[in-house]
Amino acid sequence: MRRSGRLSGQHTVVVTGLGVLSPLGDSPAELHRALCDGTDASGRVEGFPVDGLPVERAVELRGFDPARYLGDGNFRPLDRTGQLAACAARLALTDAGLRTEEPGAEDDAKREIALVVGSMFGSVRTIAEFDRRGLEAGPLYVKPFDFANSVINAAAGQTAIWHHLRGPNSTVSAGTASGVQAIGLAADMVAEGRAEVALAGGAEELCFESLLSFARAGFLASGEGGARPFDAKRGGFLLGEGAAFLVLESAESAAARGARVLATVLGQGAAFDPSQGRDGASGGRAVARAVTLALADAALVPRAVSAVSASANGHRHADRREACGLAMALGEHAGRVPVTAPKGVLGECLGASGALQAVALVAAMGEGRFPGVRGFEGAEDGFPLAAVRAEPARVDLQVGLVDGVGLDGPCCALLLGRGAVEARA
Amino acid sequence: MTSPGRHPERRRVAVTGIGVVTPVGTGREHFWRALLAGESGIAPVSSFDTSRFKVHLGAEVRGFDPAPWCRRLEPESLGRASQMAVAAARLALADAGLDAADPEAERAGVAMGTTSGEPLEVERFDDALLGGGRDTIDGALATRYPCHRIPGQVAAELGWAGVNVMLPNACAAGNYAVAFARDALATGRAEVMLAGGADAFSRITYTGFARLGAITTDRCAPFDRERKGMVPGEGAGVLVLEPLDAARARGARVYAEVVGYGLSCDAHHMTASHPEGEGPARAMAQALADAGLAPEAVDYISAHGTGTPTNDRLETLAVKRAFGEAAAGVPMSSVKSMLGHTMGAASALEAAVCCLAIAEGWVPPTMNYENPDPDCDLDYVPNRARQVAVKVAMNNAYAFGGANASVLFAAAEG
Repeated sequence: MRRSGRLSGQHTVVVTGLGVLSPLGDSPAELHRALCDGTDASGRVEGFPVDGLPVERAVELRGFDPARYLGDGNFRPLDRTGQLAACAARLALTDAGLRTEEPGAEDDAKREIALVVGSMFGSVRTIAEFDRRGLEAGPLYVKPFDFANSVINAAAGQTAIWHHLRGPNSTVSAGTASGVQAIGLAADMVAEGRAEVALAGGAEELCFESLLSFARAGFLASGEGGARPFDAKRGGFLLGEGAAFLVLESAESAAARGARVLATVLGQGAAFDPSQGRDGASGGRAVARAVTLALADAALVPRAVSAVSASANGHRHADRREACGLAMALGEHAGRVPVTAPKGVLGECLGASGALQAVALVAAMGEGRFPGVRGFEGAEDGFPLAAVRAEPARVDLQVGLVDGVGLDGPCCALLLGRGAVEARA
Repeated sequence: MTSPGRHPERRRVAVTGIGVVTPVGTGREHFWRALLAGESGIAPVSSFDTSRFKVHLGAEVRGFDPAPWCRRLEPESLGRASQMAVAAARLALADAGLDAADPEAERAGVAMGTTSGEPLEVERFDDALLGGGRDTIDGALATRYPCHRIPGQVAAELGWAGVNVMLPNACAAGNYAVAFARDALATGRAEVMLAGGADAFSRITYTGFARLGAITTDRCAPFDRERKGMVPGEGAGVLVLEPLDAARARGARVYAEVVGYGLSCDAHHMTASHPEGEGPARAMAQALADAGLAPEAVDYISAHGTGTPTNDRLETLAVKRAFGEAAAGVPMSSVKSMLGHTMGAASALEAAVCCLAIAEGWVPPTMNYENPDPDCDLDYVPNRARQVAVKVAMNNAYAFGGANASVLFAAAEG
């Protein structure tokens, strides 16, 4: 089953399950529809007081109830990030036909499933509230639960406990590229035979601490217009929240248990911009290198890419860097290939973004319709991605590119093929 | 399942440089001399007031000046963990006889681990919020706090453009980073990697461990019957990894080869280990299988050895479970008895210990060991460094969240 062209990997890695929790719905199909419709789910934040904050809008997941996904149980040891991760993980496992919680001979927990979680902050709310409690009430009055959740890998630990995931367990932080990098690491684990099955994705919550600090750092779009990825009038992003996971599995494992194969991981690439976003040319080169490496890893030429899910979120410079980098890597094809930027709808979900992009991309396979970019009216002069539109495109989506671009350096790219892509020996 | 570590197309990976910033000293030579001499970096906490705590000991890096190590970056623009990581990275490169400009930038990567990233930035946020209110808060939590800034700042300082990753897997993070770097090199995705971990001392971490009752009131005495707990610490450890063939071709000193690793998860409890050491034993067994080695081949184990009653008992159990009868014959020491628990830096520093043990033929002691514990009945190299011909060393690390990681290093032969 060894694929030609790949530097690494002894096993073909396929996608057999998807799980998503987002303000646009909790199924991949709903998310795909909302992205195609350009649904506006942003609004004034209700989850915590925002009076007097420089930005009051976000794309917030409202009415989230973990019991709806996890059934009866004690969710108190899990913070919101941990709950989001555990619930999206359950949806993905169920979608893949894996049951890890029931004891017995068929217990899928015996598979030692790996878990890789992309997260930018862990829960910065949990750690900051823990610190403030220690300051205000005294160090004897903090809760041990809260300390356990203050480590950045807490959601990965909690999710593993909830679903009995006993394989390699890692969190990956690469800012807004975390989710893409997490899927890449998990794919490596499966390709290398370190796990037969891996749950890979990301989770991030919206909180007072991140909203205020992103606003103060000047990243957020203010006013009613919201985020407008790639648009000439873009002026920042909205924060979002959510979680998404993919079940990755060796082709042999999927075949042995008769699992439905949704997609195949074809290749991945990662690079870094040592200017950390300060130099546009350096940033563009890093984006291009990640995409070029992914194409080489998959042994594909640029024109094989049917559609691109971009990382663009409405940030003035990061969107430009990404557009230039994609154009460098894809050449003439960059002017033709349909491009979506889901963050125009979902907001910037930080460590969850890449996983949400990947789930949405797989959901679009076989649908014939590929989302456009919400709010896009027109780009600045010299903008190289000529096929960017607000409206959905008709696409026969065979190979999709998921791009993850950090605000300060990390760049990751992932190529997914529709269904089971045979090894081309 | 085939043994991933011994795939014929994989390149062998060598450790050729060691850089450390620790409570017992900065730089490989200081570090190693101090550890072999049994020196302690543990003292009453000086960076914040512990009068509201019942415990007062910490393992801080005192008098650290980031300026000499930051040649491109402004040191004050970096968080403390990033500053220590940059210093350790520069030290490791110099130790390897490499200039930052030597490798092709696009093929030079960084993999780092941490427990809390830059927790001092959260403290600044909270101090401002409680002290001056919302209007006094800046954007640093969005720009300086995120833990991916640690490997990012290292790469920016060196001008490196290859794969860059932060694996914030708490106290096992350094081992995860070394494993990641090893694979990146073995599969040809990079030509040189820096791998390690960093963490900054913080009142947040201290408050948490104090609340768990995990901090010792007097000495840190891993595996001793009267052990009372761990000591939170800080620091950074960075290794230079490169393909063995490339290292030999340039005449580099090779400390050790990374020959295998194993990763597992207890999936049992956030802060308590599995009562039978199941997950750690699985990680050790996988590392041995990955390297194609029998337990008898291991000459030294660098223990996680925090000094808490539970960890040390269960770690002993796990080693016996994985090693069987061979467990009794393997020296296993905990440098946390001297360094404290440097959190995300710990397993990176302990990886350095494994490499130095192989290269130098000495293993550092477990200090403060006085009272044998019937539950901890292995050879802990008590109180005195020992000359041992170490061909194979295992580095064990266990984290909050149940993540376990064992990495195997070996003398590069053949």
